[in-house]
Amino acid sequence: MTMIIGLLFWLVVIPFCIGLIPANFIAEDERRPGFILLSGYFGMWALFEVSAVPAVLWVEYDNFKAASAVFIVLTLLSAAAGVWLLYRSGKAGLIFGNMERHDIRGGAKPCMAALGKWLLHAAGIEWLLFFALLGFQLYKAVAYASFDGDDAYYVVESLIAQEAGVMYRILPLTGGSTGLDVRHALAVFPMWVAFVSVRAGVHATIVSHVVMPLVLIPLTYLLYYEIGRALFGTVFCRENLPVFMVIMALFQIFGNVSIYTTETFFLTRTWQGKAVAGSLVIPAVIWLFLLLCGKADEKKDRRGLWMLFVCVQMATGICSSIAVFLVSMLTALTAFVLACVRRNLKLLLQFGAACIPSAVYMAVYVYMAYSYLL
Amino acid sequence: MWGIFLESVVIFKNFMGWHENHFLAGIYIFALLYLWLTEKDKTKRAVFVYTPTLILLLFFCPLFRKVFVRIMEDSETYYRLLWLLQMSIVSAYALIRLMGKHRRIGLAVACLAIAACGDYVYDSGHISRAENAYHLPQEAVDIVDMIKPEEGRITVLVPADLIYYVRQYSTDIELPYGREMLIARWDYYHAMYEAMEKAEVIDTPTFVELTRSYPCAYVVLKEDREIAEPLTEYGFSVYGQVGEFVIYKDMTLEQR
Repeated sequence: MTMIIGLLFWLVVIPFCIGLIPANFIAEDERRPGFILLSGYFGMWALFEVSAVPAVLWVEYDNFKAASAVFIVLTLLSAAAGVWLLYRSGKAGLIFGNMERHDIRGGAKPCMAALGKWLLHAAGIEWLLFFALLGFQLYKAVAYASFDGDDAYYVVESLIAQEAGVMYRILPLTGGSTGLDVRHALAVFPMWVAFVSVRAGVHATIVSHVVMPLVLIPLTYLLYYEIGRALFGTVFCRENLPVFMVIMALFQIFGNVSIYTTETFFLTRTWQGKAVAGSLVIPAVIWLFLLLCGKADEKKDRRGLWMLFVCVQMATGICSSIAVFLVSMLTALTAFVLACVRRNLKLLLQFGAACIPSAVYMAVYVYMAYSYLL
Repeated sequence: MWGIFLESVVIFKNFMGWHENHFLAGIYIFALLYLWLTEKDKTKRAVFVYTPTLILLLFFCPLFRKVFVRIMEDSETYYRLLWLLQMSIVSAYALIRLMGKHRRIGLAVACLAIAACGDYVYDSGHISRAENAYHLPQEAVDIVDMIKPEEGRITVLVPADLIYYVRQYSTDIELPYGREMLIARWDYYHAMYEAMEKAEVIDTPTFVELTRSYPCAYVVLKEDREIAEPLTEYGFSVYGQVGEFVIYKDMTLEQR
């Protein structure tokens, strides 16, 4: 029971509370629980990068414990700030924006009636089909084991942090001591897995192979849902969104055309940082481009979206060092194209400024990797 | 430069799975072309049409590949540039636009096309029914439970079948060599690995000398592994057996 409470606290409650911060700085009609949870995760991972990377680089002994302590302080403060913003904004306005509140707040009966109505309208079957596909993927993730050789590195790194309290100072493959491998040491996603394992008191290998898929697969579909909303707008959303979700789910299931695709990574190595980069972080960048440069009224409050964009850039760093380069490149290319198409050079400056954390990350990477030349 | 371009073509083909008759990329290319011709919204056009096209051009550009490999010091991850295309999102969006009002029939056709052109991920040989909550082979878990020290760490020599799993269960077990020896293209040399895995018949005196240089508290061998002389004649005793794996304990370590 304590384990489940620990997992729920660090994987649902904390990210949700952190997500309330960017939600406070976007237009009311764009606030949704899904947006908040996604924002919270990216915010939480950004905080983890800030906590863990300096500890990896500059703390020699018990660096995992040091990073965890800093991370706990930062997350609890951020979550408290989110709750305070929720309290200040009054009741559920910050969570549900201007969604049909009578459906949500009228108690269990009207809520179920609304759900039934929603399922039975024209797109209900597609939604059922999507949830069946999602359930199938979750079942497969829990009941079936997927072998991946890289687990001997990443999962063991998490377990070392949990059992020995150190990050990247012990060679995971054999157990000998080692110098800092900068390429892997800056991508601290396995350390976040270790953090969750320690807080919940669950073996890191179980968290990696069972808990992470149960969290990251629905979270990824939540992002696809938000991308669908951004693509189809409010008018065509009702009919097209469930179809979009079904097609996305099928692409994941049948995307194993080679061992290299994001779809293969998504369902066979869900718990690895690079899979998160391919399936969650890169689509999140696309999602935010659609939101930030979409047709919406320019006068709308978008500060929260920019905050989120910076967090996504930072979250890339914990997933994979190469992903930082890739996401920066995607951002630069898309911003350049948008600046040309919209004849607005300001966009280049704005997106460039949002990439400053990635630039700092790459500078640290280059410095650490090549400092022996100095 | 031409050679580098051809390498990129091979990486692209391997990524898309054309060599195994998978044509999901065909749906993506069709979707991209369709959006080139029909998408009017400037933002969507920029994000879903122009940027992916630029990424594809860069991917095949030999100069870009040279710079990428130089910066990353790694040519094996070049395929990840194709992750930026986000093929499934672009394809799903284009397919829905193409369906128009014929949503149900369109969805059915799309589902069939995806299933026909793709490859079912759960058919993969790497996926099997989980034997425990760790998603590790039960034999690896049982062996570690049997030999795990109450405190401290020990070095254990295990066959290649168990190399990946032992330390995922407990980091109190150290190994003389790890997964790096199992990747042929890395081509590492390790005397212990040569003696354990490469030799057709294990040469017991050399093998024992090597295990004691670490020292390995336990040696795990498959029961059908050929060995010149039994380990029991060299100060080892059979400590137990799990499935096809026999666990030997080095009794001389306790005397030291």
